[in-house]
Amino acid sequence: MNDHDIAIAVKGLKVGYDHVVVLKDISFEVRRGEVFVILGGSGCGKSTLLKHLIGLFEPMAGEVWIEGVNLVAAEGEARRRLLRRFGVMYQSGALFGSLTVLENVRLPLDIFTDLPERARNLVALGKLKQVGLAAAAHQQPAELSGGMQKRAAIARAMALDPGILFLDEPSAGLDPVTSAGLDALINDLAENMGITFVIVTHELPSIYAVADRVIMLDQKTRTLIAEGRPEALRDHSPNPWVRQFFKREAEPSVTATPTTPT
Amino acid sequence: MKPPETTPESAAATAEVRLEAGGRAVVVLRGRLDSLTAMGPWRQVEQRLHGVAVTALEVDAGGIEYCDGSGMALLHCLQMGFLTPGATVTVRGLTPELQRSFDNFSAADYRASVPPPPLRNHIPTDLGRGARAMARDFVEQVRFIGAVAQGLVGTLFRPRLMRWDEVMRVFESAGANALPIVSLISLLVGLVIAFEAAQPLALFGAQIFIADMIGLVMVRELGPMMAAIILAGRSGSAFAAELGTMKVNEELNALQTMGLDPVRFLVVQRVVASVLLTPLLTVYAMFMGVLGGVLVMLGIGFPLVAIYNELVLRLTAGDVLIGTTKGVVFGLIVAAVGCLRGLQTQKGPSAVGASTTRAVVSSILLIIVTDAGFSILLYVLRQ
Ligand SMILES: Nc1ncnc2c1ncn2[C@@H]1O[C@H](COP(=O)(O)OP(=O)(O)O)[C@@H](O)[C@H]1O
Ligand SMILES: [Mg+2]
Repeated sequence: MNDHDIAIAVKGLKVGYDHVVVLKDISFEVRRGEVFVILGGSGCGKSTLLKHLIGLFEPMAGEVWIEGVNLVAAEGEARRRLLRRFGVMYQSGALFGSLTVLENVRLPLDIFTDLPERARNLVALGKLKQVGLAAAAHQQPAELSGGMQKRAAIARAMALDPGILFLDEPSAGLDPVTSAGLDALINDLAENMGITFVIVTHELPSIYAVADRVIMLDQKTRTLIAEGRPEALRDHSPNPWVRQFFKREAEPSVTATPTTPT
Repeated sequence: MKPPETTPESAAATAEVRLEAGGRAVVVLRGRLDSLTAMGPWRQVEQRLHGVAVTALEVDAGGIEYCDGSGMALLHCLQMGFLTPGATVTVRGLTPELQRSFDNFSAADYRASVPPPPLRNHIPTDLGRGARAMARDFVEQVRFIGAVAQGLVGTLFRPRLMRWDEVMRVFESAGANALPIVSLISLLVGLVIAFEAAQPLALFGAQIFIADMIGLVMVRELGPMMAAIILAGRSGSAFAAELGTMKVNEELNALQTMGLDPVRFLVVQRVVASVLLTPLLTVYAMFMGVLGGVLVMLGIGFPLVAIYNELVLRLTAGDVLIGTTKGVVFGLIVAAVGCLRGLQTQKGPSAVGASTTRAVVSSILLIIVTDAGFSILLYVLRQ
């Protein structure tokens, strides 16, 4: 893993719960500064894969390397240093309900930095402004709509300006305007700050707007079925289901159809 | 600009502070200002400017190679004069890119987001609010009792709506699974009471009356009470948490839009199960408590026959009936209060926890008060 341009390398990953295998034989690399999108039908294991990429669960087999460090083997201080380098937005937002929105965003700074409190507040406010939530800073998460909670969760993931951001369905539940604003934010951060994004999403406009490269997971074969640029997959993929997905066509023509994407 | 993850901890940022004549100060920042490295220069600047009256501060940011949100925040702190109150501050030399992200956030944004002042408390207002809340709570309880009764009657006529499998589930979790703890607590309480009574009664040679005492106390008072308190702690709290979580997840709203009444669909089963359950649990608690007393008496040396005769002489079927009736009433209280508190769950992260607490506290309170009521009633009836 000496290659400096590789942010994340996944080798022969096999993941699942207890004895149920959800995905197997997953190998791919995410380049530094790239917006990498994980696609697949609902329930095919995208969130599960993401949770393994960030070291929440131990894989059944295979390795995950982040920034040249083996996440599966990293322990103690090395693991802590690694955790600090990426931010995660969970599918449900996962804001802490007992803290205000501002305190939620400030929490990683409270834990990982010794900046003065005013500065931490300023960082958190700045991030909230970036996602358009400055006005909701002192509200409780329960008082926000689903989309607002997602944006607050993104702000929290960005609090430490990590090199890698993992986003699980960031634009699900957002209106088209907010969603487009989010895409613009992702592109801006990727281009100007060199941040690497790993995003799970179903929104075709978002995929075309942000994705440099996508991988597609399949529920039937439990593995990767496509990898490449979205436009290329749409026009030239040998797999009809993949082409269908990108053209947003209904199912009938194809027989080997995995679960309908949502 | 370089991505931030290549930061070696050594490439720390530096700050140089020059104090000039006329209260002027110049801060020169260099290097990578990020959440790891920005603290060093900040401390330096803070130390050098401490206790110095600065009227004009100039921040030379030309040497900053990289600056993330944390570094930006420190620049804003400097600009807003957090270290130099009252001074005019200029930040110059930022690269156009950094200048753009610096300008994205202003002192006005900061001021606009100062938290709203907490509401002032006013004793008369608080009293009024509290009284109104209590009144509303009372009305709600009465209405709830009505709704449960209505639901019970409704299911009597249409037993298929009862969801007996749910009743059985509650029966198992609140009843069968509670047996070990009921056994332990009742047995120990019986043992301890008998043991404590044995010593003073020995002075009068009246130890045989331990049997009378433990029999009466366990059957009429403590048996039903212990069973009910254990039920409140184990199951009343669980009812409140279950229904509270369902309310928080909007499952109750979903039920209502499907035309199902939460009381009839969720509460009636729990109430019925508890009411059927408590007589059994109560009799079991009575038995274990008496057994505890019997063990002590056997230890003292009384033959089992003597103890048995004494018990049978003292205890009547009426005593057992009274104890069991109490148990049924307590069971009704625990289930109804648990469900009511669950349905009353508010929004917010600690809401379910609060409902659970309220369920246990209210039921135990009501159990004790009802028990006192029973004692008075029975006394009056005996006159
Ligand atoms: N905690 C869990 N325990 C067991 N199975 C799970 C768990 N979470 C998800 N699964 C299963 O794993 C599969 C993938 O789920 P998930 O990764 O959430 O899908 P998605 O692609 O929609 O994000 C599904 O079949 C789901 O039932
Ligand atoms: Mg998912």
